[in-house]
Amino acid sequence: MADHKPSKLNPETHLILDQPLLRLPFELLRKNFKVAQRSVELHSSAVKTSFRELANSSLDANSSPDEVLKNVDSMLARMRGLKRKLTECQEEEARLQQQSASRIKHLAELYGMQSYEDVKYEQWSRTRLDRLLVDYMLRNGYKESASVLSKERGIEELVDVETFLKMSKIRESLRCGRVNEALSWCSENKKDLRKMESNFEFMLRFQQYIELVRTQDPAKLIEAITHAKKFLIPYKETYPKEVSQACGLLAFPPGTRAEIYTQLYSPQRWTTLANKFMETHNLLLSLPSAPLLHIALSAGLSALKTPSCHSSHLSSSISPTSHSSITTSICPICSTEVNDLARNVPWAHHTSSHVESDLVLLPNRRVYGTGRLEEYSRKAGLAPGRVKDLRTGDVFDVEELKKVYIS
Amino acid sequence: MDVIQIELAKLRRDGSLNQSIADVDKIIEQLERARETILENPDQASKTLVSLQNPLKNGFDRVLDDLKKVDKGQKSYEKTLNRNFPVKALPTDYDALASYPTLINRAIAMHLVREGQFSVASTFMEETRANPPHPQSAPGTPNLNQIEEDLGSIKSRELEDKFAGMYNILHELKARNLGPAIDWARANSPQLEERGSTLEFELCKLQYVWLFLGPEINGMPNDVNNGLLGALKYAREHFQRFQGRFTRDIQQLSTAMAYVSNLRASPYWRTFDIETAWDDVASSFTREFCSSLGLSAESPLYVAATAGAIALPSHVKYANIVKKKHTEWTTQNEFPVEIPLPRSMIYHAIFVCPVSKEQSTEDNPPMMMPCGHVVAKESLAKLSKGGRFKCPYCPNESQPKDAREIIL
Repeated sequence: MADHKPSKLNPETHLILDQPLLRLPFELLRKNFKVAQRSVELHSSAVKTSFRELANSSLDANSSPDEVLKNVDSMLARMRGLKRKLTECQEEEARLQQQSASRIKHLAELYGMQSYEDVKYEQWSRTRLDRLLVDYMLRNGYKESASVLSKERGIEELVDVETFLKMSKIRESLRCGRVNEALSWCSENKKDLRKMESNFEFMLRFQQYIELVRTQDPAKLIEAITHAKKFLIPYKETYPKEVSQACGLLAFPPGTRAEIYTQLYSPQRWTTLANKFMETHNLLLSLPSAPLLHIALSAGLSALKTPSCHSSHLSSSISPTSHSSITTSICPICSTEVNDLARNVPWAHHTSSHVESDLVLLPNRRVYGTGRLEEYSRKAGLAPGRVKDLRTGDVFDVEELKKVYIS
Repeated sequence: MDVIQIELAKLRRDGSLNQSIADVDKIIEQLERARETILENPDQASKTLVSLQNPLKNGFDRVLDDLKKVDKGQKSYEKTLNRNFPVKALPTDYDALASYPTLINRAIAMHLVREGQFSVASTFMEETRANPPHPQSAPGTPNLNQIEEDLGSIKSRELEDKFAGMYNILHELKARNLGPAIDWARANSPQLEERGSTLEFELCKLQYVWLFLGPEINGMPNDVNNGLLGALKYAREHFQRFQGRFTRDIQQLSTAMAYVSNLRASPYWRTFDIETAWDDVASSFTREFCSSLGLSAESPLYVAATAGAIALPSHVKYANIVKKKHTEWTTQNEFPVEIPLPRSMIYHAIFVCPVSKEQSTEDNPPMMMPCGHVVAKESLAKLSKGGRFKCPYCPNESQPKDAREIIL
């Protein structure tokens, strides 16, 4: 059997699920810096302008010292405001840098391991599973579980509770039919959204418009038209279909049988918006679109799955490789926890057989390794020359065994 | 990773907003001073302002410079990150699990319970009950609504009690107390025997050996219930029931009494060397305990996530090739590339037909020819075309009807 050293661990390629671990704090660091930069620009130009005006007017000599003082005070207030803002940003920056440091340390531990069989790797992998679980819980809005689990395992620095809490709040508000939270998120991230050419904000505005038309209240309808003029019409080049649909909507009150318009009135759109938000949010922060746990499990279940795992034989597995036990142990895919989940993944591809050495065939068509069969029979208290089937318990004479050759 | 670590340290030293704050502070100070000067000499107000003009401008320039430095630091960190931790696209287009959130939640709940994290498990179950998941049907996956059951179906309470019991027994084993484990094994003796497990006897044997080794090693009080006498007493009381099945072991255990003075050199030392025995019984106990509940010994979620991480590099590579060559996945049931898993993660015997190179399945089982060589059923049919044929591995000739289906 070709042994391609499958237990060798290569950290460079192994770290795939772990990319957001360093990416996210960095993206947040950038965002945080931009906030700081913007407020410096804003405040400095305001202070500079008011200073220039003040200097000019004081040259005229007709301004009273009191007025000058008042102006200086307002400049001071602005500068103190800037300092407050910068201090906030600096605290966030320190937190993110600290977080990155802990995460790098966690990832660096992997570089000290050579093999998957390393005890330290098991520890590390357990921590990784905990991280994946927390990620899953946060994405699905199970925030209590996420915080209890990360506290109990001491991995708070390795998970992104705050980011996801913010996200699920906005998502929930969309599911309840509110756009305000999402709109303010859009304005916070205006630049990046434009760069991404995201239509999310447009869709929010469109939804606002639909809600106004839904009321069929004359005053609201007029509001709807102004809303459309302000937020939708400017995009008629970019989203011609949506804009013309919006115009048409005025002619079709809710309850219409025209299919396009019933779709527009459908409450389902809010769920779509919530999903659209998640998608945009994750893209913006370079987070994977699906929970990492899904990705890991899809790949893992498939790698472990064999045709026997869902077979009707219901043969308990006998590992061809474990030396520690002669008795049957249950394969993880056959175990109840994930058996149904694994039904839909493809089974693993193998190019060579993995079987025990020195196989023999029992008269009941079952095949076992000689060593294991003999040891088991001895432990079962059988007389020499007799063997017992590990799974069915049938007893046979050694004479009846036939050698099996598997190449 | 080291390079990133160094770069981050650099960033923390140079690329911080602290300097900007300090420079903003300086501007504030200047403004404050100017304010005082104006207060003192209201007539000189305009002069004071003029003299402030340049320092103020410089002050703002400095703040901007500071920001530039932070920006530069961050960009250089980003470069290092990109170079040493390059972005690899995750294979997200194929998410077989998105349609079954309830099943995932069930798997997670059971994982938490079996890991003994009962409080997290109960919080999780409460939250999932309060907020049932929104299944997103992924295209291409069949809808299996009938298996999307309520989380309640796992009888969490019962399972939790069982695992609490298991952790209790393991805890006692760690404290070198075999009592609770033996009690459990005795209570489940028929099932264990049916599975061919010798756990009960192994535990009793270890108890005997433990007593035999005496107070010096086991640290228990030196009385009639310990040492040789204790072991003998224990054997009389408990080995009776194993007489039939383990005659030879019991004979060995009792004959060892004769060698007590020189046990280390005796042929019986193997049985009495208990260096790893405690860990061994603990792990076989865990295995048997989980098997009795129909569960695998290791958490499947842990094994699967680990296997997933090991498999992902191959998935990424494969996805790239597919993208580049515009090919498609041709096999429905089988993943197209082999994933090198460590041998400890192979749980079933796997037969790959040496002729067709296909894995055996229920419809295409392995068939053994009279010479003992094995090929898959479909290959056999092709080779023989119904008549006599030669084994592809030896000169032997046989009829297809002589081949027998085997179960690995």
